[in-house]
Amino acid sequence: MSAAGAAVEAHGLVKRYGALTAVRGIDFEVRPGECFGFLGPNGAGKTSTMKAIYGLAKVDGGELHVLGLDARTKRREIKARIGVVPQEQNLDGELSVRENLVMQATYHGIRADGRIDELLRAALLEKRADSKPQELSGGMKRRLLIARALVNDPEVVVLDEPTTGLDPQARLAVWNLLEDLKGRGVTLIVTTHYMEEADRICDRLVIMDRGEIVAAGTPAELRERYGQPTLEGVFLAVAGHSLRE
Amino acid sequence: MNEQLRAYLPTPRVAMRVWLRNVRVFSKVWKQGLLPQFFDPLFYLMAMGFGLGTYLARVNGIPYREFIAPGLVASSVMWAASFETTWNIYFKMEEKRLYDAILATPVEVPDLVAGEVAWAATRSVIYGTTFIVIVALFGLVASPWVLAVPPFLVLGGACFGMLGIGFSALAARVDLYSYYFTLFVTPMFLFSGIFYPFDKLPDWVGTVAWFTPLYHLVNITRSLILDPDLGTVLGNSLWLLVLTLVLFVVPVRWMQRRLVT
Repeated sequence: MSAAGAAVEAHGLVKRYGALTAVRGIDFEVRPGECFGFLGPNGAGKTSTMKAIYGLAKVDGGELHVLGLDARTKRREIKARIGVVPQEQNLDGELSVRENLVMQATYHGIRADGRIDELLRAALLEKRADSKPQELSGGMKRRLLIARALVNDPEVVVLDEPTTGLDPQARLAVWNLLEDLKGRGVTLIVTTHYMEEADRICDRLVIMDRGEIVAAGTPAELRERYGQPTLEGVFLAVAGHSLRE
Repeated sequence: MNEQLRAYLPTPRVAMRVWLRNVRVFSKVWKQGLLPQFFDPLFYLMAMGFGLGTYLARVNGIPYREFIAPGLVASSVMWAASFETTWNIYFKMEEKRLYDAILATPVEVPDLVAGEVAWAATRSVIYGTTFIVIVALFGLVASPWVLAVPPFLVLGGACFGMLGIGFSALAARVDLYSYYFTLFVTPMFLFSGIFYPFDKLPDWVGTVAWFTPLYHLVNITRSLILDPDLGTVLGNSLWLLVLTLVLFVVPVRWMQRRLVT
C-alpha cells in the first residue's frame, strides 16, 4: 500500500517498449497540493512515466500508486479522479470547443453544465465556445486541453510539456492557469524541458536523464547543491551533457 | 468471474458514452454524409434490377428486381458498417489520436470497442431502413414482415462492425485498408447470393458463401421481405450473433496492445 497521503508514489518503476527500457526503476513521491516537475531532455522517460500515471502505459516493473490506488489494477478509478493534458493535441475536431468539454463530462459520466461555462471563462475561451478546435491558435488549443482536463474536478492534473511550442505570451497564460489551480489545492505533475518553467512553477522536481532520476529537490536546493546559478547549469552538472543536444 | 475474462467485458453504460459521441457528430453531418451512400445500392437496383432484370424472366418464380432488392438492403448495411469501422476508425485512432483522449477518461478499451460497434450497427440500421423505404416505393416488397427487418439489420451491422474494427485493430498500415475492401467486402457483395441463387451452381459455391456474414443477412432480409420463414430467420441470425460475440476478443486484445503501450 502507498504511504498515507501521497498523491503519486513510485518505487522502482520500470517501463519498457520491446527491447528499449524507457524508465529504469525510478522512485518518487508527489505530495498533495504541490506542483511536481519532471525535467529532462526528449527521450529521458518523462512521457512514459506520465502515461503510466494516467493509464495509457502498462507498468512493467516496480510499484506505482496514484491517490493510493494501484496503477496496475485500478485504472478506471484513477482516471476518474485525475486530469490529463497530453503532449500531443488530441481534441475532437468534429465538435466545437464547448462540445469538447461537454463530451469530456459524458466520458466521465458526470453532468457539468454550470462548470463548463466556468471552465471556458477561466481558459479565456468564452468567445470561441462555438469554434472548432482547428480554428484556434496554439495557445488557445493548449488552454482548451487544460480546461478539458479539469471537467471532472480532478485531484491531480498531469501535464506533459504544457507550454512546448507556445510563444512567450501564450506560455504566460498557461502558467497563470496552473498557478490558479495550485492556489485551489490541485496537485500538478508537469514535465518540461524548459528550465525557466520548472523554476517558476515547480515546488519540487526531479531531473531525469536516460530513464533514470539523476537529481531531486526544490529548484533552490538543486541550484545550491550543485553550485549553479540556474537549473540549466544543474542539469549540465549532473547529467554531464546539456539539455538540448 | 476471473480477472482475465473481466478485462474483456465492456460496461454498457460506459460504452454508451462512446456511442453518444458518434451520435452527436452524425447529427451534425448526416445531411451531407447520408445521401451519397444511398446512390450506391440505388444504382445497382436500377442497373441490375431494372436494366438487366428486364431481360431475365424470373428467379425461383420471383421477378429479378424483387429478388435482388432485399439483398441490396443487406449490402447497404455491410457497406455502412465497414466504412464506419475502417476508414473512420483509422482517422479517429491514428490521425486525430482521439482514442488516446477517450482512454484517459474512465472509458476502457472494451467499452470503446463496444461503443464503436454499437454505433456502426446504428448507422447501418439508418441506412438499411431508408433503403427499405426506397425499395418499398418501387413496389418490391411482398410481405408485411418487412417491418420486422430493422432489428436484424442492427445485428448484421454489429457483425460487419466487429469485423471492421477487428481489421482496423490489426492493420499496421493505412494502405492495407483497401485490401479489406477489394479482397473481402467487394467479393462478399458479389458472391453472397444477392444477384443469383446458388441452387444451380456447384455445391462448393454455396459452401463458401455460407462462411460469409453477408450471405446470412441476405437470407434474413430476403425471407422477411418476400416469403417469411421463421426457421430461416432464426438460423441465420444465430450464425451472425455467434460470430459477432466470438470476434469481440480480437479488437479488444489488439486495440489494447496498440493504444495502451
